[in-house]
Amino acid sequence: MIVEGSHFFPGPRDAVWTLLLDPDVLAKTMPGTASIARVADDRYEGTMAMGIGPITAAVFDVVITITDQAAPEHYTMQIEGRGKFGFTRGKAAVTLASEGTGTSMRYQADLVVGGKIAAVGQRLLDSVSKMMLRQGLDAMTRELEHRLAGGAA
Amino acid sequence: MKPPVFEYHRPDSLNEALALLGAHPDAKPLAGGQSLIPAMNFRLAAPGRLVDLNALDELAGIEETVEGGLRIGAMTRHRAVELSAAVAARAPLLAAAMPFIAHRQIRNRGTIGGSLAHADPAAELPAVVVALEAQLVLASSRGERMVPAAEFFTGLFATALEDGELITAIEIPAPPPRSGSAFLELARRHGDYALVGVTAVVILDSERRVTDARIVLFSVGEGPVRAARAEAALAGTTGDAAAREAAADAVQGDIDPSADIHASSAYRRQLASVLTRRALAAALGRAVDAAR
Amino acid sequence: MNFESYMGRRVLRLEDARLLTGRALFVDDVELPGMLHVAFLRSDDAHGRIRSIDATAARARRGVLAVYTASDLGDYWRPGPLLVPPPPVPGLIFNAATQVPLARDKIRHCGEPLAMVVAESRYLAEDALEDIVVDVEPLPAVADLEAALLPDAPLVHEQFGSNLAAQVHQRKGDYASAKAAAALVISRRFLYDRGASAAIENRGVVASWDARAGELTVWDTTQAPIPIRNGLAAMLGLGESHVRVIAPFIGGGFGPKIMMFYPEEVLIPWAAMRLGRPVKWIEDRRENFYATTQERGQIHDAELAVSRDGKILGVRDAFLHDTGAYDPYGLTVPINSQCTLLGPYVVPHYDSQFQAVFTNRPIVTPVRGAGRQHGVFVMERLLDLAARDLGIDRVEIRRRNYIQPDAFPYDHEILFQDFRPLVYDSGNYPAALEKAALMIGYEDFVREEQPRLRREGRHVGMGVVSYIEGTGIGPYEGARVTIEPSGMVRVATGVGTQGQGHFTTFAQLVAEQLGVDVASVRVTTGDTRDFNWGTGTFASRGAVVAGSACHAAAAKVRAKVLALAAPLLDAQEGDLELRDGRVAVRGAPERGLTLGELARKANPLRGAVTPGTEPGLEATAYFGPDRGNAASGVHAMRVEVDPETAEVKIIRYIVVHDCGTVINPMVVEAQVQGGVAHGIGNAFYEQLIFDENGQLMNASFMDYLLPTALDVPTVELAHIETPSPLNPLGVKGVGEAGAIPTGAAFAQAVEDALWGTGVEITEIPLSPSRLHQLIAQARGGDR
Repeated sequence: MIVEGSHFFPGPRDAVWTLLLDPDVLAKTMPGTASIARVADDRYEGTMAMGIGPITAAVFDVVITITDQAAPEHYTMQIEGRGKFGFTRGKAAVTLASEGTGTSMRYQADLVVGGKIAAVGQRLLDSVSKMMLRQGLDAMTRELEHRLAGGAA
Repeated sequence: MKPPVFEYHRPDSLNEALALLGAHPDAKPLAGGQSLIPAMNFRLAAPGRLVDLNALDELAGIEETVEGGLRIGAMTRHRAVELSAAVAARAPLLAAAMPFIAHRQIRNRGTIGGSLAHADPAAELPAVVVALEAQLVLASSRGERMVPAAEFFTGLFATALEDGELITAIEIPAPPPRSGSAFLELARRHGDYALVGVTAVVILDSERRVTDARIVLFSVGEGPVRAARAEAALAGTTGDAAAREAAADAVQGDIDPSADIHASSAYRRQLASVLTRRALAAALGRAVDAAR
Repeated sequence: MNFESYMGRRVLRLEDARLLTGRALFVDDVELPGMLHVAFLRSDDAHGRIRSIDATAARARRGVLAVYTASDLGDYWRPGPLLVPPPPVPGLIFNAATQVPLARDKIRHCGEPLAMVVAESRYLAEDALEDIVVDVEPLPAVADLEAALLPDAPLVHEQFGSNLAAQVHQRKGDYASAKAAAALVISRRFLYDRGASAAIENRGVVASWDARAGELTVWDTTQAPIPIRNGLAAMLGLGESHVRVIAPFIGGGFGPKIMMFYPEEVLIPWAAMRLGRPVKWIEDRRENFYATTQERGQIHDAELAVSRDGKILGVRDAFLHDTGAYDPYGLTVPINSQCTLLGPYVVPHYDSQFQAVFTNRPIVTPVRGAGRQHGVFVMERLLDLAARDLGIDRVEIRRRNYIQPDAFPYDHEILFQDFRPLVYDSGNYPAALEKAALMIGYEDFVREEQPRLRREGRHVGMGVVSYIEGTGIGPYEGARVTIEPSGMVRVATGVGTQGQGHFTTFAQLVAEQLGVDVASVRVTTGDTRDFNWGTGTFASRGAVVAGSACHAAAAKVRAKVLALAAPLLDAQEGDLELRDGRVAVRGAPERGLTLGELARKANPLRGAVTPGTEPGLEATAYFGPDRGNAASGVHAMRVEVDPETAEVKIIRYIVVHDCGTVINPMVVEAQVQGGVAHGIGNAFYEQLIFDENGQLMNASFMDYLLPTALDVPTVELAHIETPSPLNPLGVKGVGEAGAIPTGAAFAQAVEDALWGTGVEITEIPLSPSRLHQLIAQARGGDR
């Protein structure tokens, strides 16, 4: 499954970079996330619990490894999520570019989705991933605005 | 495909049901069960508690209102709505949609409230109630409130229902004068989830020009999609072939259909325009008849 | 009996009353005291190395009696047997890799079983599955057939050094010379994708071990109870006579249930013996998509060399066959494709090579049609394209190439799946074609109706295709017929029944010989206690092989009746007749006995018998045909396409079928109708969609679309009968006929309807979305 697109953040690139790699921000903004911790310089682990419609509490153990970091411009992530609903695995590349007073983010991910969600959820995979991405990015934008307005991190 | 363990309650009254739902955040209401039980059997859904609403006769029934509309109880079975003469007379769009909901056996058990609360993006009824500008009556242990259909569907399988809240009834206004409606759906097999569906209501003024149009598509986004650009292309016209063609083209700007294993986005887009054009032709024909 | 004969008679099925009133036993109906239930943990990954499986929490769960992984099986863990060795084709390459009971170091397809949980209920067993923690190192999946054969492809079975499961090259004549002499060479790539058999009943196994009697009883939804019995006995160290396998009523087989020694078949009896309690496993529908075999992905690069007047000079075909993660069933499917491509045509030069490829997908074994549809699709499409390019009518081009009715037996000179040369026994292909064309009104349609509809802007098309179905192969089957003192006739045979109507058709054959009412004949199939020599129901051979054995056994009993009755009635054998359940002197019916009375006399408690005689009126007979026979037919369909929505509506469907002598026309009609439904499914609705990681994306009937009664027309059926000289009844099989040419007919008809758009159909299945894409591409000038 290819997931790609772009998003505009109303803030400077350095701030966006810090935000994207802050585990507490990730925990707060990724939809349904329960807890994410930075266990090493380039490695995050945690669990995510999601619910969409009738699907309640789909819990995934998540490991994200950051590779090819080139602050504040570019990084790649290895993503692995596994739970009783199935798994997802893949690579995502994120590029940040200054655009006026803001930052334009481009992302591209190539994910394998397997197990139960892949087997019976195909009808919804596209919509669900679009929705989760949008919710996550919108939440990050709000968090960025909050921080820039002087709010506590 | 056996569900995990759950607790089961079968309240005798609406108040009892609302009390249970209010007290237990892990409780899920069970209406027809035609979506919930398969999800539980697949172990995709695992509610700790089911509150069975099927003993609540007070929530079922189709009433004709003095204003010329309908009040349909949330636990009314699809099959009852399908066979109702009152629905055929006062909400022909709803009557037209019913045979497309799954299969007769499923319609014997499934309920209108259950379908709306589930808010599947490929479902017929959410688009129908938006096109009919219906109101949903919601109740919880905290009280009752009304929500217009257009505000009820908030996203993918998401509705305005708050914790512990149930749909208790759907209120449909009387059909406007000089109006006509049409329902079209394309599915791989009879009874399948729609690849694309279109509901259309057009209202003419005394000059037979389109004064209001509600074009609501389903299976083209996260929920029922109001095709505002298509409606704008139709407004003020006589709804002739050129206007319908323009509306069918304009619909492309209103939708963002996903691709899945059954249909590419391009194919869904093609179907959306074709079905919009055909639905508008039928709806306008009926509106013209009604205007006579 | 007040009619001539039971042959060709529309006898209402004897088994239906039980089936319709819920009194038939299916495997899931078996309830035994203390019975335990099994659930399997199946792999989510298509390819991976197993680092560890931790079942501690699962074992600790209340209600769970045991959790087994590969290491718990000890010596019992071993790969299953190779069921079908490759045929003796010169130069053949074959790498055998058979399935294992539980994955040990490596996972090779989604759904491969990793652990078995035995618990008090299926609910508890499924709860326990969630407790099992599996640590898997994912490996890149082998999914694309061409990429699988590249040098750096990941390997499904490292020991072979490649993903090549087999390579087979069969030739006759010299294709190169045919090509050189051709006026036209049509060359295309054809794709045919995977489908499931989707029987209404999933698989299931119940096993019960009686330690005191030392006897194991197994109920199994298998099409081959006798080989299962023999295999289980050997695996479990029991005598064959101490194992009883019962295949009771079964809700559809279609091929995957002839696959043997599925992990569950091997493990459930073992668990029952170990735990000392009966054990049941019933497959649920989601499991069925992975755990039960399927078919049939192939990629063909095929070429047809024809003369100016459309005569076939030669065919060359090179194809890749997806065998899935293991190949226990050998090369049956691709050999069928290779042989069936020749069809009812004279093909002087043929060069066919295939490579079977291991992939990280569930195992492929025969499913109704068993690879024949691929051969038919390729040949019929090549002929259609040649006809178009040469300006010859597509029905006419077939007529010009048929093997003529006086050319039988006809030797195609290559090897068939029964390892014997492909020789057709009998047939009349031109007659079937004429009949089908007449029934669907082909001439008038092409000449007048279609041009008129086109002017009206309607897109209506027709497909007329021709095929051969090899049926009735050996090795053999047997039957025992017994007349009981009550007058009831008992028949036992080793094949199983999955809805083919054997309880009626075999009864008809026996009743015919013995002059009794068909309702007094009770047939038992699929119980190794009642009959234990035979191989099973597959390849459309039940009526031919087991039927012939029933006929032969009944004939022997008839001979015994006459020999015993003649002296008792003081008459010559030639003066006696068997009629209405009695044996009597012709013309003097009062000088007779009921068969029941005769049976009692044949089994005296006292007195003396003539030395050398056998007691009772019972006989056993076996039948093994010299080779398979060739049923054939023509399918014709009429469709209308809506080019705006790419919907296809099937308006009429005609089948003209030759299955030799017809025993019960109703049963034949039903087989054909069911086969056509299956074929329509495979052509336009059903497709097992795997992604490039070996993940199945439609493992439920929400997304794997079976056509319903609303999508399948009622077949209009006509018969041609060219009896087979290979068995005394002259019958040929019919089980797969409906499913074989449907894809080819569909492609021709839809292409015909869309004539003018430039759409060419070289793949099956289609869908409206795919058709829409093809139409858009054709309009965009991609061709």
